[in-house]
Order: sequence, then structure tokens, then C-alpha cells
Amino acid sequence: MLAVLKKEFKSYFSSPIGYIFIGIFLAMCSVFFYLDVVAYGNTNFEYMFYSVTTILTFIVPVLTMRMFAEERKSGTEQILFTSPRSITAIVFGKFFAATLVLLVAELFTLIYFAILMYFGEPHIQTALATLGGFLLLSMAYISFGMFASSITENQIVAGILTAGVFVFLWFMPNFNSDLFGFSPINVFASEFPSGLISPEAVTLLVSFSILFIILTILVLQRRKSVK
Amino acid sequence: MIEIKNVTKKYGDFVAVNNISFQVKDREIVGFLGPNGAGKTTTMNMITGFIEPTKGEIIINGNDISKKPKKAKREIGYMPENVPLYLDLTPREFVRYMAELKYVPRKERKKEVERVLEEIGLLEVQNKLIRNLSRGYKQRVSMAGAIVGNPDVLILDEPTVGLDPKQITEIRNLIKSLGKNHTVILSSHILSEVSQICEKVVIINKGKIVAIDTPQKLENATKDDNSVIVTVEDKDNNMKKIKENIKEVKEIEHIVDNEDGTKQYRVVAESDIDIRRKLFEELPKNNITIFELKKSETTLEDAFLRLIDKDVNIQEDNEKIKKEKKKKGKGGKK
Repeated sequence: MLAVLKKEFKSYFSSPIGYIFIGIFLAMCSVFFYLDVVAYGNTNFEYMFYSVTTILTFIVPVLTMRMFAEERKSGTEQILFTSPRSITAIVFGKFFAATLVLLVAELFTLIYFAILMYFGEPHIQTALATLGGFLLLSMAYISFGMFASSITENQIVAGILTAGVFVFLWFMPNFNSDLFGFSPINVFASEFPSGLISPEAVTLLVSFSILFIILTILVLQRRKSVK
Repeated sequence: MIEIKNVTKKYGDFVAVNNISFQVKDREIVGFLGPNGAGKTTTMNMITGFIEPTKGEIIINGNDISKKPKKAKREIGYMPENVPLYLDLTPREFVRYMAELKYVPRKERKKEVERVLEEIGLLEVQNKLIRNLSRGYKQRVSMAGAIVGNPDVLILDEPTVGLDPKQITEIRNLIKSLGKNHTVILSSHILSEVSQICEKVVIINKGKIVAIDTPQKLENATKDDNSVIVTVEDKDNNMKKIKENIKEVKEIEHIVDNEDGTKQYRVVAESDIDIRRKLFEELPKNNITIFELKKSETTLEDAFLRLIDKDVNIQEDNEKIKKEKKKKGKGGKK
């Protein structure tokens, strides 16, 4: 797993994708930091994350769309899947590489927290809960993006499918409020930024990730016998 | 040793590979021959565990590729068709990544990468992006990825396609030298290549094995007649009469008129008789001057075409028989 993780993480930064992802993420964070925190003159670091989560909808696909689609299109999956590494190890390697890129981006937001520390006394536990929840939400999203990338050889299709499903999950509770508890982004927003960590929320986000990691593994294993 | 036992691969109703079995012994170089679409790549993909056979077993050095994929794959170095590579890596990075994937221990990794880069001749481009390399170098990078970690078995899918003649000779020599301490399966549709490098040839057509043998034996086995090619100057057109003068001659076939006025004929004789002496004595008597006289030799090329033709004919015959049976069956009912 480590071999794949290392190579994938490096390749995010040997292509523009890693820089574009972190750049856009931080640019948007700055905007929301100003609009949601500075403009109101408060020291609530977590407020900006209500808005920041929404941009995950559009930037996670950038990170995940090439994961398997590109390998399939260029044929390099032949090298990867004939190496003595299991499909599970390859999938986890790629998943954690993307997660690591996101984590790097997320750690940069600590700068905003430092700014708030300088001017006031932000609540550290709430900030940590928010960052933790945000990571879980991102992992759930990455797992779905990875799954979408494994079912097509066209990166664009994978990207649009991923963003489309995220938009749907976001507005799903508007159609039927019973579905609120199944919408990762809404579950995140209703709990973590207020410093709450409920087992239900964690379970939803973690099981969402696990579900799509398993589905990705199944898709790739099945393609071996259909291909 | 590679054992392939009754392997079949189906895509829906289409049978890509139909119940093939063969063995490759240790330190043997086997050529896998067949026209395009014969099932070569499908078979290689199954041997390397990239795709799963519908039926049958593939055993690499005692490990079943479907049941113990990790162990079996550690024994294999694969160079896929069309040399897929990570274009945004350099050859050095690529080989290092492959070494890592193949569990080359961290301590030995650097040395191993160095050895492979040197052996394949990649040192001068080791730090360029693979994207910017020429086809020949890309081919070598792919080969380097296959041999790193020194796997026992090498599977090379059309390793010389798209190379210039000098590169082809280099790669061939490389494969020959690798064959000294590796088991190699190599696919190709270039026959001269296979007869030069391989000790054994497996000919496959439409998913079925048509022949397995050494190149020489295949050439001999398909040598159907005892014929001689003569180039002559024959002003009086006496060549046709020769058949009557020499009783051992079965047939004389005109092949081509050369620009210098000479003509080329194929003379077929009764089997087991060397007709050359007779021709040499008889032709001048008929006012025919011999410019060239040689035994016609079947090349592997002929063997290959003949085997595949035979296979197609048999299949067509079978289909005819089936159709006729059906007709008869229908007629009977009426």
C-alpha cells in the first residue's frame, strides 16, 4: 500500500492537480474566512467551514477523477494489476494519497486559526471537532469520487458524475426531510461546527467511506473476469 | 516453469481462447505466434493475472495465478503490448516504483535500479520524463520495468514492435541473454524473430493452438513437396517438354519472367528424389541454360501460413458438414 501511496501522492504534485486543488481550496477559504468570520468581527474559526464544505462538491472531483480512469485509459493498469500487490492494497494506497493531499490543504487552514488566536481567544475544542469532521466528510467524498473513477475510463465522466452526486446529496433533504440523516454534507454542518460529535454522524461518514471503498474493490475485481 | 492447463476465455458467446494447454520449462524461450486477433494478448494477460480465465488453470512455478496471485505474480515480469507507462515519471523513478511494487528490499533497491538501468541501456535518459522519450527508449523502459527485481519468468508482448532495425537487433540480443537465466514467453507476429530467438514455438489461431514444436521441426513438418527452383534462359520454350524427358518430374510451374529475359520455374519431383543432378544434365541438352538452381526451402513463414490455412480449411469443412447435416435433418422431417 505504501508504495502506491507514495507514488500517487508525488504524482499529485508532479502534475498541476495538487497545486490547483490546494490553491483553489485556500483561495475559497480566505474568501469565506473574510465573509463569515472577519466581517462579523467574531473569533469563531468553525463558522467558515459551513461554506468551505460546499466547495468540496466541486474540488474533490478534481482530485479523484483520474485515480483509476486514467490508468485504465493509458493502459498502465496492466502494470499495476499484474504487480504482486493486491487490489485492496492498491485501492487503499490511492485513497490515502488523495486523503493526504486534502489533509495538507486542511492543515493550511490552521493559519486562519493562528490569526484568530492573535486577536482573540477562539474555542480550540470546537475547532478540532470541526477539522476532524471535515476530514471524515472529505474521506467520504474521496471514496465516492474514487468509485466513480473506477467505473469509467473517461476522467470527465467520472468528474461530472462525482460532482453531480455531491450536489444531489447536498440538496436531497430539500425534497424529503427524512433523508437529512443520509446527506453527509448536511450531517456534518448540523453537528461538527457546533462542537458536537455524535456517534450517528461519525457512523454515517465512516460507513459511507467504507461502502465506496469496498464497491471500488469489487468493481476492479469483477472487471478482471469480465474484461 | 509455466503450466497452462485447458484454459478458456469467453466474452459472452465469443470464445477468445479455446481450451489451450502447454508448458514452458525453466530457462526456455518460447515464442507465441499468431495472426492479429488470434488470442495471444488475451493468453498473456491471463498468464500474468491481469484477467481471469473463464475455465482452466495457470500455474507459475507451482503457484496458481488465481488462487495464490501474490506468490505467482512475484515470479513474473510483464511487458504489456503497446508499452503503457507513467508518462510523468522519469525512467529512474519508474524503475524504482516497479522495484518497490515488486518488494525489492529497501536496502537493495538503489543497487537493483542501477543494475537494470545499465543493463537495458537507459542511463543516458534516466532523468528525462518518459513523455519526451522516443518509442525505442519507451520500449526499453517498459522492458526495464519487467526485469527489475529479477523475476524468474518474463512475459513479453510484442517487444520489438515499432523499433528500427538496429534497436530490434539490440532488443533481440537482450532477450537472448535474458533467456540464459529466465523463463521467457514472447509473442510476435514477426516469424524470423521467433525462429532466431526461440527454442520452441506455439502457434495459435482463432483461440486454438495449431502447433507446438521447435522452429526447425515446424519448418520440416510443413515441407510438403520435394521441389527445386530453377532460373533459366530458355529461348525455344523447351521447358514444358522437360516433364516428358525426365520421368521423375511431377510438375513444372512457371513462377516469374525476370527483366533480363530469364524465367523462373518450380520443378516438383517425386518424393525422396534429388532431381538437381538430372536437371543439370538434361536441361542443356534441350538448349536451356541454367542461371540458378536451388532447393526450395520452407521458411517458418510458409509453415505458419500453411498451418493457419489448414486450420481454416478444417474449420470450414466442419461447418459445411454441420450445415449439410442440418439440411438432411430438416429434409428428413419433411
